Amino acid sequence: MRLPAGVSSADFASALAEFEKTVGKSWVFTRDEDVDLYRDAFSPLLHEPEELVASAAVAPASTEEVQQIVRTANRYKVPLYPISTGKNLGYGGSAPAYSGSVVVDLKRMNRVIEVNEANAFALVEPGVSYFDLYRHIQERKLRVWIDCPDPGWGSVVGNALDRGGGYTNANYRNHFDSHCGMEIVLPNGELLRTGMGAIPNSKTWQQYKSGCGPWIDGIFSQSNFGIVTKMGFWLMPEPEAYLRGTVSLSRYSDLAPMVETLNYLENARITSGFPDIASPLNGYPAIGQLQLWNESGPPHQTPEHLKLLSTAKLGYSPELEAYGMKSGIPYWQLWLSFHGPAEVIEAQWQAAQRHFAKFEGAKFRVVDRVKLPIDPAKADAYHEPELGVPSLRAFSIGARSPWNPTPSKGHMWFSPIVPRTGEAIIEANRVFSEAARELDMPLFRSFSMPACFWERCFIFILATPVTEDPATNKRYREGFKKLIAVGGQHGWGEYRTAPVFQKSVMDVYSFNDGVLQRFHETLKDAIDPNGIMSPGRYAIWPKHLRERRS
Amino acid sequence: MSRRSEARVLYASAAAGLTLATLLAGEVRADESSDPYAGGRAVYTKWCAPCHDPGVIHPGTNALTVKYKGVKPGVLLEWKDLQPETVKFIVRHGISVMPQFRKTEISDADLDALAKFLSRNTPH
Repeated sequence: MRLPAGVSSADFASALAEFEKTVGKSWVFTRDEDVDLYRDAFSPLLHEPEELVASAAVAPASTEEVQQIVRTANRYKVPLYPISTGKNLGYGGSAPAYSGSVVVDLKRMNRVIEVNEANAFALVEPGVSYFDLYRHIQERKLRVWIDCPDPGWGSVVGNALDRGGGYTNANYRNHFDSHCGMEIVLPNGELLRTGMGAIPNSKTWQQYKSGCGPWIDGIFSQSNFGIVTKMGFWLMPEPEAYLRGTVSLSRYSDLAPMVETLNYLENARITSGFPDIASPLNGYPAIGQLQLWNESGPPHQTPEHLKLLSTAKLGYSPELEAYGMKSGIPYWQLWLSFHGPAEVIEAQWQAAQRHFAKFEGAKFRVVDRVKLPIDPAKADAYHEPELGVPSLRAFSIGARSPWNPTPSKGHMWFSPIVPRTGEAIIEANRVFSEAARELDMPLFRSFSMPACFWERCFIFILATPVTEDPATNKRYREGFKKLIAVGGQHGWGEYRTAPVFQKSVMDVYSFNDGVLQRFHETLKDAIDPNGIMSPGRYAIWPKHLRERRS
Repeated sequence: MSRRSEARVLYASAAAGLTLATLLAGEVRADESSDPYAGGRAVYTKWCAPCHDPGVIHPGTNALTVKYKGVKPGVLLEWKDLQPETVKFIVRHGISVMPQFRKTEISDADLDALAKFLSRNTPH
């Protein structure tokens, strides 16, 4: 049996016995073959002695059981690491940030407590996946949509707490922002409700976010200050129709004004679906097209096109631009999508086209006009999450296919936030491609396009493969950390990362001698004096382990 | 709808019905009096179908099609030599980008039922 560092075998045995008393013998896992199921399937430390592994796992079925587990952990100073569905692949999976922690597996807490159609909100437990919530809504024929990330088996609560994003309207795509009210088991075992939930018998817990006084919800995301056992979310009323169209532009210099126009349209809510930008001439797809490319192959490129791409600098050469114009391949393609009454979204699309008409040679095309609700059996003709439908098609990334004969073992996401400007797209490509070339990293090797999950910024989301070869993984890890630092030098930071990179990322957030990290530690010491809750998560270490930070 | 979209609908339609219909059905009631594989089928529907149902839109099916180059079907449900122990090993260890599954997701009893279902065509 594995043992958490600093815990005697007698104490650990006592803790496990109490866990068994709390949840039942069958829901405490201590045999290696069972605990190994909590390894991060995409671990960049695969097959290495430093791989982050649990000592045991315990799976409660209720908030009361979570409280009891936390009290026991305090008694024996056993580190815990809660996971919700454990599917945070590419960002750490189900493995702890500190080896030897006992994983608190919340998958059994899978109740959809409420879906309120009239006021469009839900209250769920952490074990509820997007598939589960979608199914719950469909079975009851409720006219609300979920907003899900690409893989639909993740936790609605867990994804929001890790500040993930989705693909429907701007109001819902930021999953943490769209939450309303939390229930948290604090590190001392006390139960806390935030927002209006702090009022006994509250009537508006999922209807008004901040309550009164300091609004503390944010500190329970990407942190280790408690175990969230319930969380409310605002849902989008089912729209009447969906329209998706493309704006195609032919000049390299169109990029910056294209972004400015998009920003205006989006911030003014003339368009509010997921904007998706591609560079067909550079062979870079829109996110909504990526699964199609992975499944059926990318568009054919002629030898002349490939040769021009190989000599282009930062995605540009006059010859490449001329080739694009001659061949009718757009330099930039913006996919705009709209949800709402047909007459409203047609008018929005018309207005969007009017704003882009100033670009010489701009071409417009309606790709999809869909009357909603659609037959769910037909949703996979589209990028499902844009229609609020969960799927697992994103696993075509890295999987074996005719276009990818050598599948990876997983991937780690490099995902820096950069400004919402065309200039920033080019600057980020310049900075990261130079660094990636020097480090021999397999990303930013061609001109990359960012994603538009959030309205006021861009985010690049690039997969760095995890392989079966520890030496390669080590090289990629070191390169990944250097790319994080290079981003920091230019004022850019990651939005989210796996435990193995959390220190590197948080070191970038160093304004005023790292006061933010010190503030986190001040909170940690006050809220979790025994340091039992997810030590090391997002580089927040309890006092007795703080030397790890340096 | 554009020609490209139509083409996408056409190529996807063969597989589409099964996947989403099964997802919508949720956990199928395991009535083994009429279907000896009902329990395993329900586990398959919930956990395996989104990646392994028929059609190129399912990454597991696409991967197996390429891996076995016609020697075995890409669709797991059509295999005629799948051993129960192989099913159990892959589910508990993962392979390529498929992660392993924990016992809070697929219990040992569910895994037995799944292995029985997926090896139903295998001669004993």
